[in-house]
Amino acid sequence: MSEDKPVSEDQLKIVLTREEIEAKIAELGKAISNDYAGKDLVLVGVLRGSVYFLVDLTRKMHIPFATDFISISQYSDPGGAPGVVRITKDLDLSISGKHVLIVEDIVDTGLSLGYLLRNLKTRNPADLKVCTLLNVEARRIVEVPVEYKGFDLPNYFFVGYGLDYNEKYRNLQYIAEFNKP
Amino acid sequence: MGIITISREFGSGGETVARIVAEKTGFMLVNKKTITAGLTEFGIEKPLPSIEKHIGNEKAEEAVKKYIEAMHDYIYDLAIRNNLVILGRGGSILFQDYPPALHVRIIAQFTHRVKRVMKLYDINARTAVKLIKEQDSDKRVYYRQVFNVNWTNLRSYNLVVNTENMVLEDAADMIISAYHIHGGPREVKDAPRSIDTEEAILSAPGEEDAEKFMHPSEEEFSHMLDFYRIRWEYEPKTFLLEWDSEGNVLEAFSPDFYLPDQDLFIELTTQKPKQAWKKNRKIRRMKELYPDVNVRLIDKRGFESLLKKHHIEQDEE
Repeated sequence: MSEDKPVSEDQLKIVLTREEIEAKIAELGKAISNDYAGKDLVLVGVLRGSVYFLVDLTRKMHIPFATDFISISQYSDPGGAPGVVRITKDLDLSISGKHVLIVEDIVDTGLSLGYLLRNLKTRNPADLKVCTLLNVEARRIVEVPVEYKGFDLPNYFFVGYGLDYNEKYRNLQYIAEFNKP
Repeated sequence: MGIITISREFGSGGETVARIVAEKTGFMLVNKKTITAGLTEFGIEKPLPSIEKHIGNEKAEEAVKKYIEAMHDYIYDLAIRNNLVILGRGGSILFQDYPPALHVRIIAQFTHRVKRVMKLYDINARTAVKLIKEQDSDKRVYYRQVFNVNWTNLRSYNLVVNTENMVLEDAADMIISAYHIHGGPREVKDAPRSIDTEEAILSAPGEEDAEKFMHPSEEEFSHMLDFYRIRWEYEPKTFLLEWDSEGNVLEAFSPDFYLPDQDLFIELTTQKPKQAWKKNRKIRRMKELYPDVNVRLIDKRGFESLLKKHHIEQDEE
């Protein structure tokens, strides 16, 4: 299957091409390299969506840094006892005194990112910022500061480049609007 | 010690009712003014006008906390030797473990309160709305900060009196009668229940939640907020949107949720865009009239993508 062709024309509509994404990531990598030069930087990738972005982003960076990953539980239990958000895979590195940059594929409601920021802040990093490839401001519920962002997108549902629908489509090299069949 | 606590919505006439109750029963009226005066005699000065403004400032918070503790001690002290009508100050919570106390909440519809406040203070509708909103909000914050309870919950009251279409003296008489019936030396007996019944009651699934929400999507949304540990209140406020030259309210709007930590109102709609125009118009109007209030609309598409993101399938309407 060719990666650049939509899986099914009526379900997926490309909104960002592979080339557009690559160009933007190069810009972000350069900006981050300049801003964090000489600082003790830890990139925190939020599993699982941000993996593709994080890998490509770091390839465009020209400063030393450490990479770590974190994962939190997702809200997904309608009707049942919903419980509360928790960390399902914690960082292995200590971030105390480090310059921490959270790397997200998408920031929309800000609910999970808000929780991550609250959580990581308690570990006393030197500073804590956010880099996201996609930003959907129209869906924001909780205000969260986003220092680096690739693209502002309208309020649609997107897949590709790390974003999934039921774990599908993450590996697409473009970003597409997804409509349920 | 006889205790009647009266909590009121601003503009419902509760202050007047409390005064009449105190006069007729000969009970001592305890309100903000008498407490401030009483504490001043002990050399305790009220730190600052509202605790709401000092959240985040540790020193100010500490001073306010001390003052409130002193106030509670003072009220308990008074209660030992006197019969009291306590207006506001969280009286129903302070005396929740004293069964003979009668706890009263005085309410009236928002529109009715607006009219009353306009007349009472000779102000226009817009100012009255603003005043009522501020006062209600202050109360909510006070209850949350000091007692960690939801002010809008009516379950801690024995009696709720709606003062619409009622002479305030009649309201006072109702309260006094209720006090005599309630405070009399009768044992409170529960109807005998079998163990099965008790269990059935205890395990009734989320009865409160189920009846509280107008729409299942709102309940779903509240679960999502709970999950991410975001505090919320359901429809805590009504905003007036339109009134005629006589101050009669023509249109009002109660957003579904308020998130106190974000200071944000959220309205959910699962209507199709064509049917949602009315709601959109209301929100536009609200933004014009109340530019300082943050309100956000989550529309059908937004809500669906939220559910889709969390892999929750929704029934098609």
